[in-house]
Amino acid sequence: MFFEPFTDVIPSFFGWLNQGPLTLTIFLHTVIILPMFWIYKQEKANLNK
Amino acid sequence: MLASIKTNSFTNEGQKLGMMYFRVAIILFGAQLLMGLIAAFQFLVPGFLFELFDFSVARMVHINALIVWMLYAMIGSVYMMITDETGVETVGIKLGKLGFWVLTAAVTVVVLVYIFVQVGSGTEASIWLIHEGREYIEAPRWADIGIVVVVLIFYYNVFASYMAGKQTGIMTVMVANLMALAGLYLAGMFFTDNISMDQFWWWWVIHLWVEATWEVFVGTLAAYALIKLIGAKREIVEMWLWIEVLMLFGSGILGLGHHYFWIGTPEYWWEIGALFSSLEPVPLIAMFVHVLYDWGKEQGEAHGRGEEGNVVTNSPAMAWIVTNAFGNFLGAGVWGFFHTLPQVNIYTHGTQFTAAHGHLSFFGAYATILIGMMYYGVQKAHGVEKMKMNFNSKMGIFLITFGVLGMTVALTIAGYEQVLVERAELGGTWNAFFVAQELPWYIQAQLWRTIMGVVTLVGFIYLVWDLLTIGKKNKAQQI
Amino acid sequence: MAKKNVSVWTSIPFWRRSAAWVTGFAVILLIWLSFDTLGQISMGTDEDLKAGTTKRVPAPTVINYKITYEMNKQRGSEIPIIGGKDANGTSSFEEKELFFGKEWTEEEAADLLHLGKLTSQAKNCMNCHTLLGNGAYFAPDLTKSWLDPAWDTKGVMVSMISSMLPSKLVERIEAGKAVSDEDNQLIKDMKIDIANGKMLTKEEAMAIFLRFPSSYPTHERMMPELAITADEAKGLVAFLKHMSSIDTNGFPRNFSKSVDQFKVGGSNAR
Repeated sequence: MFFEPFTDVIPSFFGWLNQGPLTLTIFLHTVIILPMFWIYKQEKANLNK
Repeated sequence: MLASIKTNSFTNEGQKLGMMYFRVAIILFGAQLLMGLIAAFQFLVPGFLFELFDFSVARMVHINALIVWMLYAMIGSVYMMITDETGVETVGIKLGKLGFWVLTAAVTVVVLVYIFVQVGSGTEASIWLIHEGREYIEAPRWADIGIVVVVLIFYYNVFASYMAGKQTGIMTVMVANLMALAGLYLAGMFFTDNISMDQFWWWWVIHLWVEATWEVFVGTLAAYALIKLIGAKREIVEMWLWIEVLMLFGSGILGLGHHYFWIGTPEYWWEIGALFSSLEPVPLIAMFVHVLYDWGKEQGEAHGRGEEGNVVTNSPAMAWIVTNAFGNFLGAGVWGFFHTLPQVNIYTHGTQFTAAHGHLSFFGAYATILIGMMYYGVQKAHGVEKMKMNFNSKMGIFLITFGVLGMTVALTIAGYEQVLVERAELGGTWNAFFVAQELPWYIQAQLWRTIMGVVTLVGFIYLVWDLLTIGKKNKAQQI
Repeated sequence: MAKKNVSVWTSIPFWRRSAAWVTGFAVILLIWLSFDTLGQISMGTDEDLKAGTTKRVPAPTVINYKITYEMNKQRGSEIPIIGGKDANGTSSFEEKELFFGKEWTEEEAADLLHLGKLTSQAKNCMNCHTLLGNGAYFAPDLTKSWLDPAWDTKGVMVSMISSMLPSKLVERIEAGKAVSDEDNQLIKDMKIDIANGKMLTKEEAMAIFLRFPSSYPTHERMMPELAITADEAKGLVAFLKHMSSIDTNGFPRNFSKSVDQFKVGGSNAR
């Protein structure tokens, strides 16, 4: 029973994401952290120049 | 002693103004402790000042004096560093001084109204003239507007000096963070019939202050202080500062969710609040490591160069900043994490547990570093090259820290008892509340809290005495 | 170009850009989430109640309905039930009850709630009590106080207030101090009711208690008199009843257990 039926009072996008185990927070953390790899690569290239 | 207040060897006008803010801050700190003692005593003897000076009044002044003295000390600290960082005299300093007097007059009127008028009728006029009845931001609407105006003046001072002078990393963070800090206050300046909406925006002010912008402010102050007190390298300090900003804002902004578990807001905040706020202690550990590591490193290098003695140029200030590094992690980090998960918070929300966290975190995260900055101000005021602790400074820091820790432990025990008996066992009804309040363990905890409050007050007296005399003593030794 | 041995981890620009990105994006996410939440917690309308639409924060006219707080299996927590339960264990919005002896129109209910909320701030309730769990911890939480067994019509408070004049007000009158016409009328009415053995309703008893709390002591720690007028007291009771209808995701937990225990004569709610 990993994904549960929606039970919150009013349906919404975030409520829908929240149905699985930590799905909402994993999603948010991922979109925050992923672009940092790109920043890292750019800075690496800058420093190498 | 008065001569000691007036003595000043400040090299710039901003620092003089900063010192004026510090003086008011320490008076308000004293008021906070007195009001806290009255409120603590009312837990033990409910009839004390009943229908004369009720708990609600004492508690309102207690927490408002806290917020206002911290804002005063924060503004004072910024004035201390403007010229050092930017290399120019503070722009618009005369306006800044006018702002100080306007703010101080307004604060005086507000406090007198709190104490003597206490409550109003259920009309808009009460909200405008007496108080808003919203914890922490009770200031009446007229004062809100006054505060905004004075803060705009202060911000002009900072921003114009920043634009006119050097733009260091520390100052860049300061300028950006202060804008957010000041802007957030606006979220608390309206009335709504909807209590859920009311608390939603109320937390924007309270949380985004104390768990985001104030914490970044502390990081900025610590960075500046480390350069000044132990001669830390600017490149290292500024790199740490950016890392701290990343982690503090990265966890703190969405960590706001941990206040949205039970106020009528949707269930998805459980997950957001729990996970982001669980990360909030991470930057606090980083700050702790940073302060102690840098100190050790500078000391080691100095020894390596064959220099004798301590690299610290102001040992009382440094002692308070190290206390800050530890207290911030313990009070905000550990005590905050204790009850940040919704599974725990459903039972701890609104109990003495929150009060325990509140006491240690406001002290550990903010009071400590601001007192450190006051010692730095005293050093500058007397033109002392190397300021050393004496007996009074040690008694001050020891008794205050011990007292606040003691209050926190006592309140935590009271909180546990309340959580288990009132909430888990009896379901949080009116009767459950009183059953828990009247158990011996709870009463004993409240008694210890009051005793530790007195210890804190004694420490405070040592602190004030020391701030008034240490500069002169050190100056005399120097000559 | 030869690859040099450089580390991004000690580069200030890397951390500065990362800090700017993380802060900026967290702010955008928070604003997005706030819009979503504000939509969900804005107050419902009377039409919502009539149409049986569940809102997290119902319309002020919810004061015309019977409200309870019951365990919901699907949610795994207690939820407010407005106007009786339907087959799914959620609100059916059918069962109504009079509030201060009448049914309130949309406008009247909104005005009353407005007065109550203003009064709750002007009288500084939050610096002793907690509301939705936030405030001071000197006095009981008010989130579900409307549903508290202590205020049940069979409970101790209603019967005490139904049979006892507010002693502080009586003392004032006996000492020859000037009191308002409103207060004189209250004493007259109460004397008649007491002589007839009439029981007050929950809301009437609450309103009198709010005006003269220290005349009805139950514990050493008492609520002080705060110069609350009769109208303001009505407003406050409406505010409390409205607050009890807000969906707080099951806070305070186990509250309904105490209510059930009281109903079967349990000692937990004397």
